[in-house]
Amino acid sequence: MTSYLFSILVLVSIAGIAALALNLQWGLTGMVNFGLFGFYMLAAYVYAQVAATGASPWLALAAAIALTGVAGALTSLISLRLADDYLAIVTLGFAECLRLVAIHEEWLTRGSLGIANIVRPVAGDGAFLALCLVALLLSFGLLEVIARAPLGRAARALRDDPLVAATTGKDVMWLRVKLFGIGAAITGVAGALHASYYQYIDPTQFGPIITAYAFMGVIIGGRGSNRGVIVSAFTVILLLEGTRFLNDHVGWLTPAQLAALRLILIGVGLILALIYRPQGLVPEYRLKVRVPAPVEG
Amino acid sequence: MIDTLQILFNGVVSGLLVALPALALALTFSVLRFANFAIGAMLTAGAYAIYAFNAGLGWPLLPSALAGIVLGGGVAMLVDRLVYRPLRERSPVTLLVASMGVAFVLENLVRFVAGNAPVGYAVDPARPLRFAGLRVNHEQLLIVGIGIASLALVWIVFRFTALGRAMRAVADNAPLAAARGIVANRVIGATWFIAGALATTAGMLIGLDSTLDPQMGWNYVIQVFAAAILGGISHPMAAVAGALVLGVSAELSTLVIAPHYRPLVAFAVLTVLLLIRPWGIFGTARLAK
Repeated sequence: MTSYLFSILVLVSIAGIAALALNLQWGLTGMVNFGLFGFYMLAAYVYAQVAATGASPWLALAAAIALTGVAGALTSLISLRLADDYLAIVTLGFAECLRLVAIHEEWLTRGSLGIANIVRPVAGDGAFLALCLVALLLSFGLLEVIARAPLGRAARALRDDPLVAATTGKDVMWLRVKLFGIGAAITGVAGALHASYYQYIDPTQFGPIITAYAFMGVIIGGRGSNRGVIVSAFTVILLLEGTRFLNDHVGWLTPAQLAALRLILIGVGLILALIYRPQGLVPEYRLKVRVPAPVEG
Repeated sequence: MIDTLQILFNGVVSGLLVALPALALALTFSVLRFANFAIGAMLTAGAYAIYAFNAGLGWPLLPSALAGIVLGGGVAMLVDRLVYRPLRERSPVTLLVASMGVAFVLENLVRFVAGNAPVGYAVDPARPLRFAGLRVNHEQLLIVGIGIASLALVWIVFRFTALGRAMRAVADNAPLAAARGIVANRVIGATWFIAGALATTAGMLIGLDSTLDPQMGWNYVIQVFAAAILGGISHPMAAVAGALVLGVSAELSTLVIAPHYRPLVAFAVLTVLLLIRPWGIFGTARLAK
């Protein structure tokens, strides 16, 4: 029971970090990142390979975060001046191509054999769970600071009307690259934690479902609201992850059917949330200014 | 010489496979202004619908195909009614994300019912034919024949019928079309039917060419988008030209890089295109700041 609780909390924290990263990119800035799982996978492989050289796992973590951030910034550059749909397809293309490389370039990634015996930064399950929760908390803190800082205001302006943001002197291009890069770097935290949690990675672990979980977290939590993302991570994602452990108890469905059913639920949930509750569970942070009462006269 | 010809022919064949869903994507984009990421899943679902009639009920391929195409078009209309119509007044990005949700539902319905293992249509294998040294198998003949026929049919509908005129009117200026008495929802429904039928036809051709598996459509998404953007996504028929260019260049690229990197070639073409000429070969500039 404790090991069950341990793994589910670790998985929810990792999914929560990925959803927070997407919330910065899509929720706050309006940049659709369908290729989230590509950045996540990149970080997992960088972490695994750097750690395999015998370097400190902390160094591997830092390398994964830095490289994923740079990859994110470069990917966003491709469709910088174009409408949002183009960024969606470019990021998805990036992720799918990266997956192909991970499958076929065995000298680099060991292909479908996968990389085993990945070391964790900390020993012991309790310490690892603490690490994941701290990472979640730090990401949350950082993103809350950004949401309240001028950078966050500029991000919301980009999302709501880039033209107005440009008119007020914001460097739209640079802001988008920067925000997308920061988001990708945070996705990198999630990916590196994934590799060190499972201690084994192969290309089949990474797919659009990781992206779908993140979108689920952001849409149900409320676009732009980091608190909402945390709330939805610990309710909806917790429930969905929980169904993974149903396999032993539901005899009349094969594990493959159960997995398909979970993905159908995610799809239906996404659509229903978009139609019926677009504002999510927790409304976005807004700076409130007290307006002085109009003077009579 | 003959090798070059063979490569060109194979390129045209694989280009035609991409052309049908690319046309479907561009059609819905030009009428509705949103990028339908469920196009791959529509292709998969259609291919399996035909498989259900063909292998499940034991019908011959032709009636199965017709029934599957009608069913595929109907499902596309139903999805529009249930998902996209309630979201029509929202931003295109919302529809984009919703279409990803639709993709998950369709693909995993297929997985749930038919399982993950690859399956094939009940058709007799036949020897490849030879035309002046060119090796052509029956599947390729079917792809060329059915592909060109479907494209021609859609072109005729789009160009010469009242429905096609209405579609172009809604694509061009929806409020003006409404003011002239065109019922937008009827035109949009018809557009979805055509898109679903095209995706289903492509699914069948891909299934005949190789096998069916739940990921078959997803694997084509990058190439389909690259083809549509290459042609200029708001010009439906130009997507066909984009697909053919892409098919031939992907086939040529197999001379230097491994064939499993086809989507990578499509992505590279897409990247270069977006950097230098994002409005496509035939389109006109449509830039966001």
